[in-house]
Amino acid sequence: MPTHLAYLDAGSGSLIVQALVAGTAGVVVAAKLYWRRLTSIFRRRTPVATTAAQRQAQPEATSTTAAADKD
Amino acid sequence: MTPDDARPRPEPGSFRDPQTRIFLAGGEVLRGLGPRAAQDWKALRDSDFFAAAQADGSVTATEEVERELPGEPGTWTATLRHAPLPFVTYPYEWSHAMLQDAAALHLDLLQRALAAGFTMKDGSAYNVQWRGAARPEFIDVGSFEPARPGEPWAGYRQFCQTLLYPLMLQAHLDLDPRPLLRAQIDGITPGQMRRMLGGTKRLAPGVLKHVHLHDSMQNRNAATSTGAVRAQLRDAGFTDELVAAAARAMAKLVAKLDWRPPATHWGDYRETCSYTDADAAAKAAFVDAALAAAPAKDLVLDLGANDGAFSRQAARAGAYVVAVEADAAVVDTLYRRLKAEGERRILPIVMDLADPSPGGGWAGVERSGFAARAAAADVTLALALVHHLAIGRNVPLPAIVDWFAGMGRHLVVEFVHPDDPMARRLLANKPDGLFPDYHVETFVRLLGERFDIARRETLPGGTRTLLAGVRRA
Repeated sequence: MPTHLAYLDAGSGSLIVQALVAGTAGVVVAAKLYWRRLTSIFRRRTPVATTAAQRQAQPEATSTTAAADKD
Repeated sequence: MTPDDARPRPEPGSFRDPQTRIFLAGGEVLRGLGPRAAQDWKALRDSDFFAAAQADGSVTATEEVERELPGEPGTWTATLRHAPLPFVTYPYEWSHAMLQDAAALHLDLLQRALAAGFTMKDGSAYNVQWRGAARPEFIDVGSFEPARPGEPWAGYRQFCQTLLYPLMLQAHLDLDPRPLLRAQIDGITPGQMRRMLGGTKRLAPGVLKHVHLHDSMQNRNAATSTGAVRAQLRDAGFTDELVAAAARAMAKLVAKLDWRPPATHWGDYRETCSYTDADAAAKAAFVDAALAAAPAKDLVLDLGANDGAFSRQAARAGAYVVAVEADAAVVDTLYRRLKAEGERRILPIVMDLADPSPGGGWAGVERSGFAARAAAADVTLALALVHHLAIGRNVPLPAIVDWFAGMGRHLVVEFVHPDDPMARRLLANKPDGLFPDYHVETFVRLLGERFDIARRETLPGGTRTLLAGVRRA
């Protein structure tokens, strides 16, 4: 995939709305996008496998996870 | 033409895409293409899509030329030459139907481009210009580039802000979008629209998705880069077909966003004008003679054009006419009629001449003010206009004459005497004696200071004087 050189800021939200404008198939894509965003939180947390109590004890790890979640 | 005119100079409104820039050289319109844009152009040039868009006139006539353009060596890999436009106009000067046709043209080209494996980098109303009412034209050849698989349309937001939203405001709220477009070069934001289209207006066509959802999505994704969202969309299975489907859906929506001007507007003008048939005939003959005496008619401005009767007269005399009228409903009706007639020599625009379009955008020059554009006119028609400015808007007569002197070298102007019923109607709203200088002899004297008066005639009714002048030097 070549580096994207669009000169215009297309707007992150605008790009997603466009999928919804495209009709049912687009709504499916947008839903999938949101589902993946949601599940990615768990996917990324799984290898860490920490409990809430453990995370409280490890403030550094918490901040790393939070940063990763922001995407 | 002086050598200075012939040297290409950058057009101040074309800097946004660093890969392409417009230069004006004498009467020529040149476009520099950077290395990447030149590659895109080669692909576009060889496509059937572009050949068809050239043949049907939907994209400005373009050819490749060998010309040096200003810039560091290597900035411009190729140079294009575009057919020059008779007069540049902006979306805040268009009537609703014009905006609708511009939006339809943009989406039509997007769909055709997509079908041929291309896309458009942007979606701006400013990419559309006119050659008469019957010919909207897409001018930004640099906007086309080969499509990348699974890529949404980068111009969607811009399309909403400069085309779709203004159409919605007029169609759904009967609200004139021009002041907003004129004030904000990037158009109306989803956030602004959302505040205007609350309550049951949410259910009006297109509002929920393109306005409310759009605004929410923008706010929620503000921290995510467009690159990340593009990747996420691709991973979620976004395809080119979806871009095409979105363009189709928008085209359907645009066609639905009709606005019918109030019926009472049209036809009022002829009736309220205090003309007798004899006056009308004499006026038409005077205008014909004055137009015949003007050697160049490449650009005629009909200021206060009303139903366009004199614009038509000028067009018949071989002119390209910009018909300027403040009443958006009148312009919209005139536009529809001219379009139906296939008229390519008359372009009606909406503008209050006591508050004409200023310069806009970066440094106030990205969009050119009306005065700067009007300076190129050959002939100015100002019929039944001066009393509106002088009495209706308190503009001093010397200022009006100076303003005329900044436009066409040839001027055809009508002075409505203070005892004319139309002037009396305007004067009735102002205190007695407010305009002691509003007199035909004062006007003729002032005009004579800037113009050689070639003709002067008082219409048979005795309350209107026509003057034709040629600006000195």
